[in-house]
Amino acid sequence: MRIFNSKLLMLLSIGMIVPIAGAVLADDAVDPHAGHRKMMMSAMSEGTKTSTAEYVLPKIKLVRDDGKAVLLADELNDGRAVVINFIYTSCTQICPVTSHTFLQLQGKLGKDRDKVHLISISIDPEQDTPAVLREYAKRFEAGTGWNFYTGTTEASIATQRAFEVFRGDKMNHAPVTLLRAAPGKPWVRIDGFASADDLLSKYKEISGSK
Amino acid sequence: MYQRIFFLLFMLAPCVWAQAENLTAAEKVYRQGILASGEPLRGDREIGVQVEGAEAACANCHRRSGLGTLEGRILIPPVTAKYLFRTNGSHGLEDMDYRFGTGINSQREPYNEVSLARAIREGIGKEGQKLNPLMPHYPLDDTTIASLISYFTTLSSDTEPGVSGDTLHFATIITPDADPVKRKGMLDVLERFFADRNEFLRGGRRVLQSAVHVKYRVTRSWQLHVWELTGSPLTWEEQLRQHQAAEPVFAVISGLGGKTWMPVHRFCEAATIPCLLPNVDLPVEAENDFYPVYFNKGVLLEARLLSQVLQENKGQSGIKRVVQIYREEDVGQEAASALIKAGGTAGVASISRVLKTGAKKHELENMLKQGSAGDAFILWLRPEDLQSLPDELPKMNSVYISGLMGGLENSPLPKAWRRVAHMAYPLDLPEMRKARMNFPLGWLKIHKIPLVDELTQANTYLACGIMAETITDMLDSFVRDYMVERIESMVSYRTVTGHYPRLGLAPGQRFASKGGYIVHFAEPEGIRLIADGDWTIP
Repeated sequence: MRIFNSKLLMLLSIGMIVPIAGAVLADDAVDPHAGHRKMMMSAMSEGTKTSTAEYVLPKIKLVRDDGKAVLLADELNDGRAVVINFIYTSCTQICPVTSHTFLQLQGKLGKDRDKVHLISISIDPEQDTPAVLREYAKRFEAGTGWNFYTGTTEASIATQRAFEVFRGDKMNHAPVTLLRAAPGKPWVRIDGFASADDLLSKYKEISGSK
Repeated sequence: MYQRIFFLLFMLAPCVWAQAENLTAAEKVYRQGILASGEPLRGDREIGVQVEGAEAACANCHRRSGLGTLEGRILIPPVTAKYLFRTNGSHGLEDMDYRFGTGINSQREPYNEVSLARAIREGIGKEGQKLNPLMPHYPLDDTTIASLISYFTTLSSDTEPGVSGDTLHFATIITPDADPVKRKGMLDVLERFFADRNEFLRGGRRVLQSAVHVKYRVTRSWQLHVWELTGSPLTWEEQLRQHQAAEPVFAVISGLGGKTWMPVHRFCEAATIPCLLPNVDLPVEAENDFYPVYFNKGVLLEARLLSQVLQENKGQSGIKRVVQIYREEDVGQEAASALIKAGGTAGVASISRVLKTGAKKHELENMLKQGSAGDAFILWLRPEDLQSLPDELPKMNSVYISGLMGGLENSPLPKAWRRVAHMAYPLDLPEMRKARMNFPLGWLKIHKIPLVDELTQANTYLACGIMAETITDMLDSFVRDYMVERIESMVSYRTVTGHYPRLGLAPGQRFASKGGYIVHFAEPEGIRLIADGDWTIP
């Protein structure tokens, strides 16, 4: 009996989807921007959420993969557009995906590659020493323009807090990518698994690059 | 009913031939991402990311145990038969388990051969839903799919040794050269912790019948077996195998070592027994091994901290030579080589002086007398030797001691030495850990256990606490691989971390605390320490 009920429910729900889809299609006919909007929407992968944000960044000292101590602000404000993600090298689930996406993005950027700084910040900084990060960079064939950062646990947490991605522990992280066209411009935040194409089109959109 | 029989047949049939021919092949696919042909496993993710080889291996996400995990908000479901093929309505509320990811709905369809193949190949779940984008699509042939499915039917399905209906058996391992004071201190903690835990099951053990036992379904008592090793380390592995045969245990908890822990480490890895957080100064550095887990790298960590200081001071310090002194029967030899290997002696002369077994006070004095103004002494010595250092300082540039070997802040260094010595201190500073230490120290006090060795006893208490938490989290899935996986995931959430500022593990991480300080004494008397610099990860 119960099985029957759930099947009935399923049929019902299928039935309900059709009219909604129909409504969307119908919308296209009357709204001249609908097509454009739809394209923008469908340009992002399913399950991602895009928003705009302003972040106040305190003074944070990090250590770059070449071992050099740097200020986060200096790394962000050298004039290039920036794309940031958060990783840890022992991660076997989310990070390999987001790191591959960065690799692909580097490839897809083409002539714009030197105009974009890819930044991966470790959320397991004690394990991810500069040497470990260099190994990781090699594994993901990171080219110039893609840097990895570590630092003290406090600095890593401060960075995560500043970008509102701190979730208590590395084991509880979620995929987030942040983009900014230039210093002073707002941040675009993508929650979820953004593809390289998502990031590329978002970059082009905010930087006005053709 | 028919359905259940069908699924039993389905589960049993392939597993018979699979065990004979294909199981290892499936295991290779699952754990290493290598196909039977030797080709790497390949998969595509919907967001356009391809995975290959080790990175494509199922175990990356579903874990070695197949029991899945939680990655942030993403539930990675178990792939063992119990979860995949659990038939419609076959379980009540008491069998509810968050690992299903299905909440309390007991009416979900189970997977079958066809729907599971579709999930693996197309990323479409049993109800036609798209699986999480993390799940790659694997274009596998029928044979590989069949071998994987049969692998799932056996994965983590056996009852592990050391688990019975009412008891969980654990061992602690003590080597014959372990310090007798620490041994007593550790056993006091272990025995009390186990007794406490079992006393909690007042009124006899019982399997609870109501829905309230969802999280604590079966209360098992814990039994501790103390495995005291004897004779040469060459015979320890065999002794341990005999112990395990005679009184099988589920896991090894805490323990105490001396000069070497290698045979114990090797035994645990070979016998697939989790070996959790022993008290050893020289752990085994083999992070590809799965089962042994340590607090930190002990004297190897100290050696790297010291090496870093020596390198940083080079040039301005006037160090011409590094002189390392250790006893031949102790762990200093390995520490000294680790310091050299880490580059601590690069650009300067380096010698090691070995105190033979039974060497007396004057022999150590003689070694020091040979010092010159450019020498940095590194003393890998125990309190007995430090105590007997001459009152007069030898000619030297500087002196560093091992905190773990020398007794940390309680080290009996003579006054003159206390003024100048620096110490490797791979723990949080006493001032900083004060509040955290109230937990182990308060517990010892309440139970009237004499405090004989703070680090050993606090670590043992911590190890017990971590294990108790993990066992609770595992529910009734007493699978050893799962135990290690849960510790990996859970330990960094702890706020009670004893001597360590924080603990953290992950796949491929087997040392929970990674850094340390170099410190010196604040006064020639007393135990107050001042850090030379920040907490450092060498």
